[in-house]
Amino acid sequence: MLQFILKKVLRVLLVLFGVVLVVFLLLHLIPGNPLSNYTSNAQKAMVNYVADEAILRQINQRYGLDLPLWRQFTRYLIGDRIDGKFVCGVICGNLGPSISQRGRPIEDILFTPPLGKNFWHSQFGYSIRLVLLSGLMAIALGVPLGILGAKYYLSPYSRIQSVFLAALISIPNFVLGLLAIIFLASWLDIVKVIPDWKIQSDWLLPAFVLAAMPMANVARVMQTTMVNTQNMDYVRTARAKGLSERQVRLVHIMRNAIVPFIAYLGPTLVELFGGLFIVENLYGFPGFGRQYWLAVTVLDYPMVLGLTIFYAAGIALINILVEVASELLDPRLTQAKEQVAP
Amino acid sequence: MKTTLPQKKAKTSKAYVFALVIIALFVLVAIFARQLAPHDPNARSFKISALPPMWVHNDYMMGTADHPLGTDRYGRDILSRYLFGVRTAVLLAFCAIPATALLGILVGMISGYLGGRTDRFLVLLMDIVQSLPGIMFVVIIILILRNRFPPVWFSGCLTLIIGFSVVSWVGLARMVRAQVFQLKNELFFEAAVSLGATRWRIITRHLFPNIAHLVLVWIANNVPAIILLEGILGYIGVSLVSAGIDNEFTVMSWGGLFYTGRSTLSSNPMILLVPAASLLLLSMSFVLIGDHYHRKFSR
Repeated sequence: MLQFILKKVLRVLLVLFGVVLVVFLLLHLIPGNPLSNYTSNAQKAMVNYVADEAILRQINQRYGLDLPLWRQFTRYLIGDRIDGKFVCGVICGNLGPSISQRGRPIEDILFTPPLGKNFWHSQFGYSIRLVLLSGLMAIALGVPLGILGAKYYLSPYSRIQSVFLAALISIPNFVLGLLAIIFLASWLDIVKVIPDWKIQSDWLLPAFVLAAMPMANVARVMQTTMVNTQNMDYVRTARAKGLSERQVRLVHIMRNAIVPFIAYLGPTLVELFGGLFIVENLYGFPGFGRQYWLAVTVLDYPMVLGLTIFYAAGIALINILVEVASELLDPRLTQAKEQVAP
Repeated sequence: MKTTLPQKKAKTSKAYVFALVIIALFVLVAIFARQLAPHDPNARSFKISALPPMWVHNDYMMGTADHPLGTDRYGRDILSRYLFGVRTAVLLAFCAIPATALLGILVGMISGYLGGRTDRFLVLLMDIVQSLPGIMFVVIIILILRNRFPPVWFSGCLTLIIGFSVVSWVGLARMVRAQVFQLKNELFFEAAVSLGATRWRIITRHLFPNIAHLVLVWIANNVPAIILLEGILGYIGVSLVSAGIDNEFTVMSWGGLFYTGRSTLSSNPMILLVPAASLLLLSMSFVLIGDHYHRKFSR
């Protein structure tokens, strides 16, 4: 097991290095630099920001933008001497200063909450909360629907439900969010067009928009696996032993139906994180999906790189956790692997 | 006595036919956009700017039957722009999907067929691309490319197509690779190799027919994806609209309508609603088609 985890971690580090390399090169291929966007930005001009040559040169030096590209990369990744002192780079967990936010450290922007608030009010905390809420929603609505659909399989109820689920699966979250804004917010005036994130009930709509498709998928997967396990021999044996229907359902069917379900949770979470980039921009949510888009528009290199690293690492973590969890829950998987490759 | 084998009934579900009809309608609209559009989509006039839909008659706004869905703030007819936007959407789907499918099949085939070191490298590449945030990756690629093409409207399409292909080939490549690995253990593959078939013949005659169904399902799932991507990018302000210098006034796309419509939500929600509803209709029909093929091939 230890060897397995070690191998996985090495693999993840390799992928992360590739991600950083690719995004770094692509970002520097975009015409313009952070300072050209900085000086031409109308908002900056409004606050009388006038940059002359000397100041620009100083800023360039401060962020290392005057170095050759490979030096910039090593400076970001490993570290460099700044003011005669060695400052460690990403490998020490230092994501560098944000260019568009006056050199505030990236970790500070992402993880430090406003004064007097807890972690959940930081930018990252906001996004995590949204994902957790919609993930919970997807499971809390999807699992019971799947179980009901399996229990009343082939009845009119289950048919109506499967049509409903198919409709939910085929609606992209962007379109669902737009329709919700048009109908619920603009016409019926049930929710606000611009939600107030301090009020808990305003979170429900974005969370549901994010959760709709995963929920339908969860319900579908749950239903099919439940129906498949219902017809297994050991379920018939359990019934023949005289166990109560409830015991059969909870212990014998659920336990075995949950393994494919867990394997499905990984892609669902990844989907939710990917959907953040759409939903946050749709509703003006102050999380990292919106921050990513803002950082790309002003070419804040360290910010985009830092966010990409977090996204990629999060996805890798989810995948590893799911793999470990499904092996722990179903020993058959490990045994099968050992038999194939001794 | 003549005995016949029980014939397998070719059953075509109603939903499948319905989906095909919807898609055919969209393609027809795309072809005849010029004939269907009531106005020139780029004709501007400040006399008729920011009109509401034709059924709105109140103290503040007065819709006219001349512009059924109203106009934007430059006085351009929304219905005409929508109809020409269908053309852009269909064009995008017709160009982006084959390009991406080709890339995905090629990489998947190479990876699965050659195996070994090539395979390990390509899988690493797939892992890297898949752990990037897809939409933002497309945005970065569009930002890189959009000043390098002449500012005509199809250059915007080209940047979007390249961005889409760079991100979406991975899903198909993975499926193809896994399938090719399976096929390599089959008897017919061994037979072909031992009969001395060339590599090209094995790939085209023996492997490709066996992955065609995967490709078909993938296409059905990804046609709405490219049209949707254009819409999303238009909504947040990249995409075709701003991909060229003068493009804001010449490109007709659903993304452009989303961009216009997000600021006129209360005065004219039709600008958002009509393309959003069409996106809904399109993605639903393609899901139905994908389901149909999935069921047909996984009997």
